[in-house]
Amino acid sequence: MMAIRELKVCLLGDTGVGKSSIVCRFVQDHFDHNISPTIGASFMTKTVPCGNELHKFLIWDTAGQERFHSLAPMYYRGSAAAVIVYDITKQDSFHTLKKWVKELKEHGPENIVMAIAGNKCDLSDIREVPMKDAKEYAESIGAIVVETSAKNAINIEELFQGISQQIPPLETHENGNNGMIKLGKQTTQMNRRCC
Amino acid sequence: MEKEFDNGNCPQAGMSSKLEESNLDPSRNSIHPAEEKDMTSFPGDLENNGQFKAGKDAHRKKLCGYLNKFSAKGRIKAWKSRWFSYDEQKCHLAYYRTAQDINPLGNIDISTASFDCKVGEDERVFEIRTPSKAYILKAVSTQAMMYWLQQLQIKRWEFCNSQPGLPVASIIVSALSGYEPLPDCTEAEEEELMPTVKTPTTLVGVKAASLPAPQAFTALQNISLKHPWIEIQNTVHNLCGGRQSHGNGGNMFDFDEFQEPPENFVEEEQLEAENAVEEETQEETRTGFRSGLVRKAKKLNSSFPRFAEGLAQEKVGVLQQHVLTLTEEVKCQKELVKLLHKALEAAQQEKRESCRYLAAAEDKDRLELVRHKVRQIAELSRRVETLELERKELGQSLAVKEAHIKELAEHVQLLMDKNQAKQQVILKLTEQTAGDFPDSVTEADVIATETLYKQQEEIEHLKDDIKAYKTQNQFLNAEIHQVTKIWTKVAEKEKALLMKCTRLQAYNCQMESKYLMMLRELQELPDLPSDHVEIVKRLIQEALQWDVKNGAMDPAHPNLVSEYDAYGFMSVPEYEVEDWKLLAKIQALETKTNILLSQEAVERPLLERWNSLGELAPSTELKGLLRCGIPVEHRPRVWRWIVNCRVHHLRSAGHYQRLLGKREATKHPASRQIELDLPRTLTSNRHFASPTSPFIARLRRVLLAFYWQNPTIGYCQGLNRLAAIALLVLEEEESAFWCLVHIVENLMPVDYYSNTLVASQVDQRVFKDFLAEKLPRLMAHLEQHAIDLALITFNWFLVVFVDSLASDILFRVWDAFLYEGTKVIFRYALAIFKYNEEEILRLQDSLEIYQYLRFFSKTISDGRKLMNIAFSDMNPFPMKLLQNRRVIHREKLEAELRELERIKAQYMREQVEQGAGLLDGAVSEDEEEG
Repeated sequence: MMAIRELKVCLLGDTGVGKSSIVCRFVQDHFDHNISPTIGASFMTKTVPCGNELHKFLIWDTAGQERFHSLAPMYYRGSAAAVIVYDITKQDSFHTLKKWVKELKEHGPENIVMAIAGNKCDLSDIREVPMKDAKEYAESIGAIVVETSAKNAINIEELFQGISQQIPPLETHENGNNGMIKLGKQTTQMNRRCC
Repeated sequence: MEKEFDNGNCPQAGMSSKLEESNLDPSRNSIHPAEEKDMTSFPGDLENNGQFKAGKDAHRKKLCGYLNKFSAKGRIKAWKSRWFSYDEQKCHLAYYRTAQDINPLGNIDISTASFDCKVGEDERVFEIRTPSKAYILKAVSTQAMMYWLQQLQIKRWEFCNSQPGLPVASIIVSALSGYEPLPDCTEAEEEELMPTVKTPTTLVGVKAASLPAPQAFTALQNISLKHPWIEIQNTVHNLCGGRQSHGNGGNMFDFDEFQEPPENFVEEEQLEAENAVEEETQEETRTGFRSGLVRKAKKLNSSFPRFAEGLAQEKVGVLQQHVLTLTEEVKCQKELVKLLHKALEAAQQEKRESCRYLAAAEDKDRLELVRHKVRQIAELSRRVETLELERKELGQSLAVKEAHIKELAEHVQLLMDKNQAKQQVILKLTEQTAGDFPDSVTEADVIATETLYKQQEEIEHLKDDIKAYKTQNQFLNAEIHQVTKIWTKVAEKEKALLMKCTRLQAYNCQMESKYLMMLRELQELPDLPSDHVEIVKRLIQEALQWDVKNGAMDPAHPNLVSEYDAYGFMSVPEYEVEDWKLLAKIQALETKTNILLSQEAVERPLLERWNSLGELAPSTELKGLLRCGIPVEHRPRVWRWIVNCRVHHLRSAGHYQRLLGKREATKHPASRQIELDLPRTLTSNRHFASPTSPFIARLRRVLLAFYWQNPTIGYCQGLNRLAAIALLVLEEEESAFWCLVHIVENLMPVDYYSNTLVASQVDQRVFKDFLAEKLPRLMAHLEQHAIDLALITFNWFLVVFVDSLASDILFRVWDAFLYEGTKVIFRYALAIFKYNEEEILRLQDSLEIYQYLRFFSKTISDGRKLMNIAFSDMNPFPMKLLQNRRVIHREKLEAELRELERIKAQYMREQVEQGAGLLDGAVSEDEEEG
């Protein structure tokens, strides 16, 4: 029996870039063109094998509109990873992504795994953000970067696999399973490592 | 009317016509030769003979007889004589080719039939309409037709009444305790509508069976083309029956017996025939031939009494002449008497004079006397002269006068001529003017005189028609009356059945949901043998398919699970994951169970209270009613009223239009967000599913108008859902706009939707306080598992449960919320946790709890129970406490935010101090870990 690790992952990014769609594709392998905008947050889980472990992703999907940013600490607090999504057809959304990275650097858990997802890669003919820009930026902050399409199920699995691989192995840590949720409660200790 | 029936009451009338027909009918003999032969020979009693398949007592009531049935099979259209017999048990009117047949050619279901009689071509024709077919039948006479129709009505009514009590009877009594059954229409009432037609004994009833079929043209023509097999069967049977009767005379149907009418009947028939002949002559004399006949009779009669008459006349003549001569003689005698009288008088006078002369003593005297006489004579002659003169004068004047008269006559003649001329001129002119019109007056006059006769005839016809129409009208009134009664009865039955159906549906749903629940539990059992797993899987698959089948089975029933509810929300939410599908199904079934069960007991009285509610005015009663939920049909009115009351001060004519005008003038950043959210609003609702839906356009305008109404808030995600709900109920966009204004500006605290959503965050903390107070056990449990409720409940508050509750409960929450405000959200949020408290307490893993909390609000199916928890279990719930807590938490939160800002600033400073080196270090660290 493989060990199960619960990993809290939050999705951040500008409004309408496809955060919920990525989650929906990953968890339910389903795509809905007009998925309801997330208000506050929504929560889903999915377990994927990784090496000799099972990673159970607890995915917190957040609202994109700027005024909901004030709620974000509630979600990224205690997260092992953050998926920051932008829309390759919207330069603005790439700008917002940079703001999120900055906020995570400032207030997020230390060593949080950051993954940058350039969503809607099926619409590359109306692309505004060149792949090169994203790669360079990701490199500069040490983040995973991948262009995805929730609609066509491109690179969604790979995105989460990449995150799984970035998570340090379990044996070095004592408290496994729901440690990060306990962490989440301790609001002031944001600098503590998860897992 | 009565007269008609009086006429009809004598059976001879009908009989005669039948006799005529049958006499005319050459085929009659060929069809029933045996009958005729036996008619005279077979002695028997009519009663016994009349027994057909029915018992003796039933025989009197037996409704049967010959009628002509119109059949149009393909191109062959003809009247065919059929023996019709009514079956009491089945309420069927069966028809046979002849009365002797056993197998009917067809059955007409009277219980579902309606009757009609036509006025027009043939007044003996009537119609029986069943849902499947219309039968056109013709009776021998109008009276017979009326008898048939009335009898059929009576039979139908009897059948409807005598129908064995349906199992619903008990339900009717129990469920409709307030219902008073319609008073059964009395016979008298029936009589009023339609006087009972007396039985035309010879035309209907079993006796008629022994009569030849009327109007049987040819045997071949009468044979049913549609039922060849039955025809053959019948023929064979008749043949067999005939043969057997000769053999033993005791076959089971006693055919020969009834085929051979008794002697006395024949006698009767003959008698009737005689009567009929009499009647015929009477009839004839009644008609226009009368005068002719009388004349003929006179002519015939005159030869006999002429002789005697001649003698008398001669005698009279002689006597009369005698009288005449005698009268003349008398006249002559009278004349003679007169003459003699005069002569006598003259003689007497002479005598007197002579006497006087003789009496005179002396000559002198005598002379004197003579002189006197002479003088007298002279005087007289003088007088004669004057008189002559006078006469002449008069003659002259007469001539003058005559001349004058002549003149005048001439004058008159002249005038008359003139007049004549003038008349001619007038006539000419009239003709001229009349010539201009298509129908000249003179012509019209001529035509009028010509057509007068025709018109009179027509009037006669029309009178007949009126009579016929009266009969028809009376019949149809009776028919309508009876059909209405039947309809009411059936409607009552239907109502009861529907109620029973509803109840059964509810139970069915309950059972189904329990079954599904069981399947689900089975599915989750860890140690289930693999073949069982397969079975469970298959059963689940089947269960998920039920919906489709059910939908196809009852498309007409509005109460059944339809795909969408009154506001266009899906009844069963669509989930992609199988497990959720099952859950959704279970939930939908439970919801339906609750709705169906509460329909009669709760919803109906509520609806009645709302119906009786007139002008709306704020009151505790209204508050209570609103908490119970507004019926769908009243909701728009009530919402509009609430909103109008509360935004009255803000509202001005044209305000909304002005705001819309602003939107056109300037473009603003919020519009992008709005556009992004429009197609993503209430996607499960069919009114918002299509991007071209008018609701989307209205929603856009409402949100943009609101942006300008309240620029500090502008557009916040979530407002789209609020506005969408308002649009669904109020439909009209300006009302929806004001409803949104009412919610954001009146009901919600300040800063609920503005930039940092502070008030929303505050409410989350306030809610936790209330939850700790009202449900301490649950709160402890959640804290133990480090559940942050705000993650779940934040959007409940922000969008007032839209997308979090089943639609029927959602609207009920909104009904109370719009009137009372945010307290309602707190009450319901607490109630939702209370409703599922035990379930949450059972879960011992934080992940499981989160997963459960994600959708648990949507699984609530009993809105009534939730409402009771919200408004009674959660009492007391003072507004003051809520406000105090809001103030306290707001201060705390703002302090925390300030602290956060301070930390942030400090971090920034540190970042600047440490420089870019840190960034590089972080990258290398990550690379090492990877």
